[in-house]
Amino acid sequence: MAKHTIPKEVAEKLVVALQKGEEANAVAATQAALEAGIEPLSLIQEVIVPTLTKVGEKFENLDIFLPELMAAGIAGTACSAVIEDFLMKQGASMEVAGTVVIGTVKGDIHDIGKNIVASLLKAHGYRVIDIGKDRPAKEFIEAAERSKADVIAASALMSITRAGCREVADLLREVGLKDKYPLIVGGGSLDQAYADEIGADGYSPTAAGAVDLVHSLMRDK
Amino acid sequence: MYMNERLLEIFQRSRSGTYMTETEFDLRVAKRTQELVKAFEITFDPQMVCPSDDGMADRVFEAGVQLLVDVGAYHIDTGRVIPFTRSEIMGALRQAPDTLYLGEGQDMVIATHRDVEDPNPPLNLTGPAGQACSEEIYLANLISYAQEPYVHAIESGATLTYNGQDIVAGTLLEVKAVQRDSATAREAVRRVGKPGMHIGDCATGMTAIGKMAASEPINGLRPCDGRLVAQMCELKTNDDQLVRIPHLRNYGSHIINLMTPLTGGIGGGPQGVAVVSVAETLFGVLAYYATYHYLSITHIKWTNNSDPWGMYVLAMAGQALARNTHIVITDDPFNMCGPCTDELLYEVAGHSIIGSVCGYTQHGVGSTGGNLPDHHTGLEAGFQGEVGIAATKTGLTREQANEIALRLLPKYQDTFENPKRGKPFQEAYDLKTITPTQEWQDCYRRVKDELTKLGLEFEQGPYD
Repeated sequence: MAKHTIPKEVAEKLVVALQKGEEANAVAATQAALEAGIEPLSLIQEVIVPTLTKVGEKFENLDIFLPELMAAGIAGTACSAVIEDFLMKQGASMEVAGTVVIGTVKGDIHDIGKNIVASLLKAHGYRVIDIGKDRPAKEFIEAAERSKADVIAASALMSITRAGCREVADLLREVGLKDKYPLIVGGGSLDQAYADEIGADGYSPTAAGAVDLVHSLMRDK
Repeated sequence: MYMNERLLEIFQRSRSGTYMTETEFDLRVAKRTQELVKAFEITFDPQMVCPSDDGMADRVFEAGVQLLVDVGAYHIDTGRVIPFTRSEIMGALRQAPDTLYLGEGQDMVIATHRDVEDPNPPLNLTGPAGQACSEEIYLANLISYAQEPYVHAIESGATLTYNGQDIVAGTLLEVKAVQRDSATAREAVRRVGKPGMHIGDCATGMTAIGKMAASEPINGLRPCDGRLVAQMCELKTNDDQLVRIPHLRNYGSHIINLMTPLTGGIGGGPQGVAVVSVAETLFGVLAYYATYHYLSITHIKWTNNSDPWGMYVLAMAGQALARNTHIVITDDPFNMCGPCTDELLYEVAGHSIIGSVCGYTQHGVGSTGGNLPDHHTGLEAGFQGEVGIAATKTGLTREQANEIALRLLPKYQDTFENPKRGKPFQEAYDLKTITPTQEWQDCYRRVKDELTKLGLEFEQGPYD
């Protein structure tokens, strides 16, 4: 029978590995916990999500830098994969907070901001489908359809690439999927006025704000 | 290796180098940078934003060379790492120019390599620094820069629309907008009676097609002008950047190596970002054939460089390159506040003082973290030039620059979380006469008075 209470030493091993971004150690700690009969959902909710959230907060406060955030995100994703695999073998599936398709729009190759938002969303328990950078509008929508996404997030850093966000918004309306996939936008070249003009469902100037936006859209669903 | 041979070799290496994912490359750069910071004993003290440690400056240079040798540069399209040897880096540095002729005719200026605490004042190659501009006021905005007495070249902004339509990168609209905007820059320098003034770039062009569309010797950008070739953070390039190089070299244009290293990003803290900045400059020498280098340090949270980290990176990368190379390096102050605020001018001043004593030629200026359209004017750009000249003529040492910068920081640092965005160009200037409003001129005089009290000896300025 699966254990709901996680022994302190098991949790601590995983917490340390995640905080340090040690992928192999994090995976080993996750496997050991599952083999010891720890309930997978407890592992996610009580250890992985709070730890990665804390890592995200540390980055927001500039106590750590981008590589540490990236490494923790990679380790967290690897742990999630182990848990998902474990659940599939048991005929169950993993609950996620929601699915977000994220990408940088056509013409824009700047993706650091998008990557930070993706890392923070993962830290908060979302499944993130990252379609990459310089992606045309149709790919956002195709990815959303394939992954049964809850939200689409489009990013543009440069002023002359922000029109790519408008293309995503226009295409969503044109194909009648505007209500199915709320669109949030962000990046250096955008502001609230532009987001309103193109009919986006949300805009945030910060990565943490983007996560709050997704939370709020998920609550409204 | 000779130039043409080197270009072809870079292409080959971008197709045959070690394959890895972009994330793997990022983490590799991050890890090696931190190892080098430790090995070369590069330290940061928030009370020493402009260190005067020659030994550390040389170690930052050596660490930068080593970083490029150890990690190479990443080609985003192919996923290949382009490797370089130390001897290739040093060979390319030897071939790089130390003197540049910018612009033409009576308006040509000569930019030379500057040393640490160089007694020769820096040139001021400035403009909206790629920030977003409205097409309606673009000509007036550029005139506001070109007319300033302490401005020696203009660089353009990036307009948002063409005849009211959003400009879409990589389309005919980008080409049309670039053709219009390079002609607008040409018209701006003509209107102020400096028809041969160097024009640093047409920032509306973002793709190679856009950048190349500015090459037009009558109404557009001439061989005496320049174009940016950018690196992506950190130490990354792609075909869209590389393809510009044979075109610009054939056209005879200046090539400007644009770097935007992120403090708090892949390079980590300020020590690591100083090392990354040196490596990126060297990559620009090697792969981009840059005639000059444009360091635009960017804070990962605030997108400015007027904070202590940004100042330190500016100081250390500048000293490292000034002491160990003969190339021309430029820097731009990117600030949190906007026009019609004293804070913006204090941010500009701190950066300009450090840049001037650490070997830079000036570039810039960015306001409101580059976030708000039209929040940039000629006044702060001219002011940067004035401060640079004052710092040099006063004979400021690095110690004195550090002291003044630390005294300026409290005047604006508290605004970072809630910046004073000020006013857009349309409200900061009289658009008929293209003159700063009384309010904006008052800010200029107040800040200049304060800087004078701190020991800077100014010449007569345009708004005194």
